[in-house]
Amino acid sequence: MSQVAGRMQQDELVALLKQKDKTAMHYLYDNYSAALYGAIFRVLDDEKLAEEVLHDAFMKIWDKIDTYDTKKGRLFTWMLNISRNLSIDKLRSKEIKKVKKTDDISNNVYNVERDNLIYQQEESIGVKELLNGLREEEKLIVNLIYFKGFTQSEVSDEYDIPLGTVKTRLRMALRNLRNVLGVEK
Amino acid sequence: MNIEAYISSGILESYVLGELSEKENQEVVEMAAKYPEVKAEIEIIEESFEQMAFKTAIKPPASVKERLFQDIDTKESKPEAKVVAMESSEASPYWRYIAAASVSLAVISSVLAFNYWNKWQDTQGELDILIAQNERVAEDYNQVNQQLEKIEEDLGIINNSSFDRIAMKGTDNAPEGLAYIYWNSSSEEVYLSVQNLKELTTEKQYQLWAIIDGKPVDAGVFDPDTGLLKMKNIAGGAGAFAVTVEPKGGSENPTLETMQVMGAVEKS
Repeated sequence: MSQVAGRMQQDELVALLKQKDKTAMHYLYDNYSAALYGAIFRVLDDEKLAEEVLHDAFMKIWDKIDTYDTKKGRLFTWMLNISRNLSIDKLRSKEIKKVKKTDDISNNVYNVERDNLIYQQEESIGVKELLNGLREEEKLIVNLIYFKGFTQSEVSDEYDIPLGTVKTRLRMALRNLRNVLGVEK
Repeated sequence: MNIEAYISSGILESYVLGELSEKENQEVVEMAAKYPEVKAEIEIIEESFEQMAFKTAIKPPASVKERLFQDIDTKESKPEAKVVAMESSEASPYWRYIAAASVSLAVISSVLAFNYWNKWQDTQGELDILIAQNERVAEDYNQVNQQLEKIEEDLGIINNSSFDRIAMKGTDNAPEGLAYIYWNSSSEEVYLSVQNLKELTTEKQYQLWAIIDGKPVDAGVFDPDTGLLKMKNIAGGAGAFAVTVEPKGGSENPTLETMQVMGAVEKS
C-alpha cells in the first residue's frame, strides 16, 4: 500500500520538477540530499570534494529532469546513478583513483566510517552494521560496487574474481540484505 | 525464454547500477514490460539500493544547499543573455568589420570547441561501455568453450566402444526415473548420465552403488546435473548399479528403501 502511495508522490514530484518548481526542488533536496551525500562521500572519502559533487549532482538533476522517464525506474535510482557517475568522474579527474581505490580500500573497506560524521536519520546505521549479516566475500563485493562505485567488471579485473562470480555474489548479497533493508519479496 | 535464468543472470542488477549499454538497457525495458516477474525484481533491486542509501545517509553541511539554490536562482534570472543596445560609435566601418569578424570567429570556435568536447565525452563513455561489453563477451565465450570441451569429452566416452552402457530404470519410488552408466570394466572408469531424477533438498544427495557379488560398493555421491558425471572407479565383476537417496555426503551402507533407479549389467 505505502508503495503505491510512494509512487504517486514520486510522479507528482517529478511533474513539478519538470515545470521547474523550486518548492519541489527544496522538497527533493531535503528528502534525498543525505542519502546521496552518503553515497558520494563513500566514493570520494573527502568532504570538500563530496560537497562539490553533491552540489553538481543536484544542479544536474535540476537541469536534466526532462530526460528522466518514470517508466524506466525510480527517481532515486536515476539520481543515485547521476551522483555516483559524477563522483567517479571527480575521483578520476583528481587522479587519486589508484591510490584510494586499491590501497586503502582493500586494507580496510570500512575506513570511511569516521567518528565525526553526523548521521541524519535515527535509523541511519553505518555500512559495517548494515552488512553485518553477509559473508566476507559478499561484503567485499557490496562495498566495492555499491559504496565505492566500482563496476562489476572492474571488481572482476582488480580482484581477479570471475565476472560471473562477482554477479552472483552481488545478487546473493542483495537477497540476504532484503530483511535488514525491509524490502519485501 | 527462461525467466528465472534471465533474472538470476545478474543483468537486472547491472541495469539498475547503470552499467549496461543503451541497447542492453532497451532490452531490459522490453523484458520488464513483457514479464511482470522481471519488473517486480527490478523494483526490489531498486528499492534495496535506495534503502541502502537511506540507511547509510550522511547529512551534508547546510552551505551546500544555500549555494545550490543561489546557483539555481542565478541561472534562472539569466536564461538568455540580455541584448544591450550599443551606442553608435565613431569608429570607422573598417574597424567595425574587423571587430564583427573576430567576434564571429570567437563565437564559432567556442561552439566548435564545446561541440568537440561533448563528442569527446560521449566517445569516452561509449568506449567504457564497449570495453565492459567486450569483457562480458569474452567471459561468455570462455564459458561456452568450456561447455563445448566438456560435451566433446562426454561424446568421446559415449562413442567409445570400451564403455558399456547400462540403463538404470526407475523403481516404484520413482517410476519416471532414468539414468545411464558408462562403465569401462578394464580401466574401471564409471560415468553417470542423469536423464530424469527429481531435485533433492539441500540436506540430501544421491549416491551411486555398484553391486559386486551381491554387496553394494559406494561409487560416489552426486547432484543431478547435465552432462556426464565422473564417479568412483569400479572394478570388474559388478552385476548391477543402483542409486539411493542419502544424507548429504553419502552413507556407508545404502538406504535400500530409497532406491530410485537400478539396472543390471548385461553379461557379454
